[in-house]
Amino acid sequence: MSVSGLKNRSGMARLLPYAFILPPMIYLMVFMFWPLSRQMYMSLTNTRIVNPNRGRFIGLGNYERLIEDPAFYLSLKATLTYTVLTVVIGVALGVVAALAIDRPFKGRAVVRAILLFGWAVPGVAASLIWLWMYNERSGVFNRITELLGIGRFSWLTSTDYALGSVLAVTVWQVAPFVMLVVLAALQSVPQEVREAARIDGADGISTFRAVTLPHIRPSIQLAALLVAVWSIRRFDIIYLLTGGGPLGSTSTLVVKLRQTAFEGHELGMASAYGAVGLALALMVAAIHYTVEQRRMKRMSR
Amino acid sequence: MMTPRRLAMKALRYTLIGTLVVLAGFPVYWMAATALNVNSQLYGTGQVAWPQLQHLPDLVTELGNVPIGRWLFNTLLIASGGTILSLTLGALAGYALSRFKFHGRGLVGFLLFMTQVVPEALILVPLYAMFITFGLLNSLWGLILANVGFSLPVACFVLKGAMDAVPYEIEESAIIDNCPRFSVLTMIILPLIMPSIAAAAVVSFFAGWNEFLFASTFLMDRALWPASVGLASFVGQYETPMSAVLGAALVFSLPAIVFFLLIQRKIVAGLTAGAVKG
Repeated sequence: MSVSGLKNRSGMARLLPYAFILPPMIYLMVFMFWPLSRQMYMSLTNTRIVNPNRGRFIGLGNYERLIEDPAFYLSLKATLTYTVLTVVIGVALGVVAALAIDRPFKGRAVVRAILLFGWAVPGVAASLIWLWMYNERSGVFNRITELLGIGRFSWLTSTDYALGSVLAVTVWQVAPFVMLVVLAALQSVPQEVREAARIDGADGISTFRAVTLPHIRPSIQLAALLVAVWSIRRFDIIYLLTGGGPLGSTSTLVVKLRQTAFEGHELGMASAYGAVGLALALMVAAIHYTVEQRRMKRMSR
Repeated sequence: MMTPRRLAMKALRYTLIGTLVVLAGFPVYWMAATALNVNSQLYGTGQVAWPQLQHLPDLVTELGNVPIGRWLFNTLLIASGGTILSLTLGALAGYALSRFKFHGRGLVGFLLFMTQVVPEALILVPLYAMFITFGLLNSLWGLILANVGFSLPVACFVLKGAMDAVPYEIEESAIIDNCPRFSVLTMIILPLIMPSIAAAAVVSFFAGWNEFLFASTFLMDRALWPASVGLASFVGQYETPMSAVLGAALVFSLPAIVFFLLIQRKIVAGLTAGAVKG
């Protein structure tokens, strides 16, 4: 009904909506989209931090340096690996958790609250607690592995484990969100359909595949999109846990951008990293959009 | 009677739930337990795994040596300022999208969706340059202005969703009586969607509360640091006892945990709406 409300379409009335929409849009132009286009331009300049408003135009110079730099490929690889693994593991765990607590049981409210802890704890606080748990000398993980007789591990400083360790913290944060999204969808699965399938002799797994899964698939897909986008965006826990190290094994594009800009003082070069990050984020959004469109079409047929 | 098969399934399910609870809950438990250890235990005899409440006074003394009060106060200013701004602008945008058809409506939807996709780090450098020009670097105002770009759209999605559910008839008579549309919004619509306003406020507030990237880049002055930056400064620094570090982290986390658990469904609705309707 919302839009039908407007009957008088003449004169002032035509301008009325803009009185509401312009202030927020001007705000976003100034503090989001103008900086964003500025950053695209900056990636074509040799801007340095000593004088950030004066950079010389150097065309594709930064990008040429980028494609010759092994560190860039390392960063791209870290970003993609991190994003894909976060989505796969985070979504899988989130769905499993949602299915596990979907049906009522005693203490469900408490369990549900505890399962959300990772999502609710601020990133910086999460980093501090996991840093302590990963601590090589006194952390709980190495105390356990020592008790088990398999020795100590360099959780965050060895190229073998660093990405996995960062991933564990990330999954702890995102899986609960996936769980909430899927739980909401599960609650709208018509109970009669599930019952009917069971009476027809379908076992648990085939009921799940025939009835439940199609119903929650859009939600899983949406959660996967958001988790992917957040993985490309994430800065705090990666930066605080490993600082992008060791040897660049966790230096995602966003971490690399911030380091190139404020430790390497090369703002133009940092902006080039940003442009690649933007391309990646847009790609994820485009994939989501296409899949969504195709489903809409299928449903209307 | 339960068949052995169903009994086994039930056992499996409870084992799974138990495992998930341990995985999800342990870090927070460990944060609290560590805060109640003393240094000699943490680095010497070994950490005690249960919370030793008798060490609470020690923790309070240790926290006295950390400027956590100052940090939380700055965090509070940043989060509240951002909330007021993003609710005000979000309500305007939400009302326009909910009640009017206008040229550029699709573009507005697309731009709002974009803000949820673009990594914050992408505007870090240009904002830095802009803030130098306008004297907003090293200022809480600048930080608030940067944060709101990302929380405003979420507030808008939440509020638009709530306004869509308010029947037009409710405001119709006021409009016929020539009541200004802005008053219709503030006097009629907003009071009807208070729960959603509260939800949007909590989302915006904790976006500002948790924010780290902008704050750690734009604020050089230690006196301006919010808790996220202050706590992060403990990383790689060994003078502060770990019990105090995690005690402070716990104090910083508790409000977020409480509010996230209280309005979890609304937060999820707000975060997903932008991606669906974009």
